Amino acid sequence: MTEGRTRAALGLALAACLVTSADAQGTTEVASSPAVSLPLPEEVRLEDLPNDNGTGLVLFWSRDPQAPPSMVYRAEVGLAPEGPFYPAGVVPASAPLASEAPKVFGIWRNYGDRQYLIVTSYMVPPDTVGGAPRTVMLEPGKRYYVRFSVADGGVQATLANVLVGEPKQNLFNWSKLNNLAFGVFFGAVILFFIWLARRNPNLYIRKIAGLDAVEESLGRATEMGKPVYFIHGLDGMSSVSTIASVNILRPIARRTAQYDTELKVMNMDPIVQAVSQEVVREGCIDVGRPDAYNEEDVMFVADRQFSYAAAVDGLMVRETPATVILMGYFYAESLLFTETGNQIGAIQIAGTDAYTQLPFFITTCDYTLMGEELYAASAYLSREPKLLGSLRGQDVGKLLILGVLTIGTVLELIGVHWLSRLVMPL
Amino acid sequence: MTDRLLNVDRRIVFLAIVVAVGAAMLWPVPLPIPPSPYVMDVYRAVDAIKSKPNAKVLLSFDFDPASDPELQPVAINVIRQCMQNNIRVVGMALWPEGVGLGRAAFDSVAHELGKERGKHWTFLGYKPGIVTLILNMGENFKSAWPIDYFGTSTALMPVTQDISRLGDFDFVLTLAAGNTIDAVWVTYAVDRYKIKLGGAVTAVMSPDMFPYLQSGQLVGLVSGLAGAAEYEKLEKSPGSATRGMVPQSAAHVVIILFIGFGNIMYLISRRRERAGELSRLRKRDAVAKGGAGG
Amino acid sequence: MLFLKRTLPLIIAFVFGITAIALYYIPHQKAANLTETFAMWDRLIAAFAYFLALYSLISLHARRIRRQQAGWGYSLFVYFGIVAMVAAGFYNRGHWALVGLESDGAYDWLFTYVYIPAEASMFALLAFFIASAAYRTFRARTTEAVILLVAAAIVMLGRVPVGVLIWSRMPELQEWLMSVPNMAAKRGILLGVYLGAVATALRVIFGIERSYLGGGED
Repeated sequence: MTEGRTRAALGLALAACLVTSADAQGTTEVASSPAVSLPLPEEVRLEDLPNDNGTGLVLFWSRDPQAPPSMVYRAEVGLAPEGPFYPAGVVPASAPLASEAPKVFGIWRNYGDRQYLIVTSYMVPPDTVGGAPRTVMLEPGKRYYVRFSVADGGVQATLANVLVGEPKQNLFNWSKLNNLAFGVFFGAVILFFIWLARRNPNLYIRKIAGLDAVEESLGRATEMGKPVYFIHGLDGMSSVSTIASVNILRPIARRTAQYDTELKVMNMDPIVQAVSQEVVREGCIDVGRPDAYNEEDVMFVADRQFSYAAAVDGLMVRETPATVILMGYFYAESLLFTETGNQIGAIQIAGTDAYTQLPFFITTCDYTLMGEELYAASAYLSREPKLLGSLRGQDVGKLLILGVLTIGTVLELIGVHWLSRLVMPL
Repeated sequence: MTDRLLNVDRRIVFLAIVVAVGAAMLWPVPLPIPPSPYVMDVYRAVDAIKSKPNAKVLLSFDFDPASDPELQPVAINVIRQCMQNNIRVVGMALWPEGVGLGRAAFDSVAHELGKERGKHWTFLGYKPGIVTLILNMGENFKSAWPIDYFGTSTALMPVTQDISRLGDFDFVLTLAAGNTIDAVWVTYAVDRYKIKLGGAVTAVMSPDMFPYLQSGQLVGLVSGLAGAAEYEKLEKSPGSATRGMVPQSAAHVVIILFIGFGNIMYLISRRRERAGELSRLRKRDAVAKGGAGG
Repeated sequence: MLFLKRTLPLIIAFVFGITAIALYYIPHQKAANLTETFAMWDRLIAAFAYFLALYSLISLHARRIRRQQAGWGYSLFVYFGIVAMVAAGFYNRGHWALVGLESDGAYDWLFTYVYIPAEASMFALLAFFIASAAYRTFRARTTEAVILLVAAAIVMLGRVPVGVLIWSRMPELQEWLMSVPNMAAKRGILLGVYLGAVATALRVIFGIERSYLGGGED
């Protein structure tokens, strides 16, 4: 790492560049007119790029407020101090400051008014005529020599000293520390409330309109002697909304077994089907009705979106279920289900965290659970401590976020930025 | 009569849509298609790299034939824009149905412009995994895609030779009919591998994308058939999306007219109900007074 | 047996879950290599899911045909479709399946002229359903309903060229509606959804949530 030069040395370096420049057009004449001075930054440092896998170096220099907008800063990389040097990056004079890139540099170090140029590769000319230049990535632990220059149009000034640096692999990404802290805090809160819920299962959940209607709709199906349809949605078992819908299926299976009502579960994923079969079977066993379980009623319909929609719509029109419950993540087929359900006169209760499908459900279903209410529904119906506890923990997390949003907005408005800098890389 | 008008049979609504869309297709009228800022951002993102040597664009076909009318025109025009400006373009699919669509898009434009597969473009095909595929590509592109869809090694083709990871692409455009943008590309590719990402989505999904546009994780967005038509206009190659604007406009107008009609009938029926309720109350009062007087 | 059905999956979920979280914070190349390895394993497992889906589909429809349940004729079409596409793909214009798919073959034809129109037709139904749903439900019954109604009309008109003819600033208004009120609502919903997703993921990693194993309480 080296320091910058004085303006006298700058003039000499500039003259040297001009004399050796192969292209005389556009360059300032050397002797007859005053030399055009391009300001080299006061302090140029080359450091290892933090928080990376050893493939980056970064140049820092103090910002020059007088720099013309057309000016650019260039970096060239070589494997030896005498070169050859290859183009490695260029940024304009208006490039952002390092302090404005907390996702790269974190928030703990004070970079002041330093600008930066990240070097992760350099371009090697083609081996053959007409070939394409090659990009070569920097490698960890290898020594690189970097030449820093300033250019404006055809004029260029290069730092006389070549900078030396070695990219290093980092074990921890410090710019994500606040992310980790929030994650650990939130996780601890969730686990704490689950533990608490196991000791006190009577945690309060506010009334969710639509969930009380589940009981009523199951009763309606029983009276009419028609089946209840439970439609999962398109995502697989790894999706949070599918896990929530399976948790809702369990108490519904219990109820329908108790009332001796036919429950048909439509699945688009074979793994979800396998899980649903287990859940429905255990729901029937829980209420002492193992005979109520019919494996064929928990069916795999099709694994393509519109084949699934066409098949379920066909079944709905033929069997005219009294109640249709749609829980999970839906896509464009949502309206196909609900309009058909409306056509056959079924009560429809939907729950989804698919934001784009909410308007369709709201306009066509009798009750709709929006977003997080889907997750709350499983806790509400089953009253399982793990679900109640994590719901309470989520509420605490939301309170924290709301607090940060409110306080952060006020602070930003009065010109205090530390809070937004703290959470920005999140 | 009001009740019947209030609850028009849905088949009449369907018929009105058929007539409106059919008439618009048979007798199209020229309509203005001003490009929106987000569509222009995608166009400019591709345009900005045309002077860069070895510029490379990745197109991901994450949609199925149902979304073909909305997204395929965007794919075709972006490929055309790239090929006309000597930008190398690589295609892939995160959905299996995207393979046929991707191939068709590349075949048609490459044939039209005389571009050579392997040198100017290639199509990688589909691999399962979605998130894990992206992570794989982010760390080691050639291990994720050792060969392309046609069986040629990616290490040997000029178009992919110097691509070692996902971040080597100058611009990535994902054409999505599902949640691959927010759940996969933004979350993993943009966050971890710092790619420059643009999106083309079906109209119903565009509300989902605005947070990513505002945060800069998406540089631009082409939304639905209208967005595709705007891109055709920017690329000066009117096609199926532009032709689709007239029927789409007709359908929207019909829907709004029906909504308006339904609301007018609703207000009339409500007034009549209130008038009927008032009249019943007056009669009851009159009977009560008459009984009390007698 | 309980170890294989319950304990081992929980151990695997915990180890891989914690490792995946840790890998997000570790930029070292070894972590990146491990991520790549996990990604390849996951893709192999995902590929096997296709066999499971195929088996489920075939056995379900075979049962329907055998018992001649209502609608069993449609199940015959499922077999016909599977056989036709698989045969066309394997034949591959005489080049068989071990080379890349040939253009303009039977597979391409079936995909372009059968599959694509069928999918597009199902999607096109939405246009009609939206029209009938909108007509039936967009009534000015309450203040919220009026707001929904007006917003829907603005967005519908702003998204098509006809809106520009009605008012030149309609697209701008639509853009504002999507960028400001819509975004505010979406962010509110998303915050809750993603917190719920994190909570569920933590429950799965720590073995508290076991529904994915198929029934059973803690």
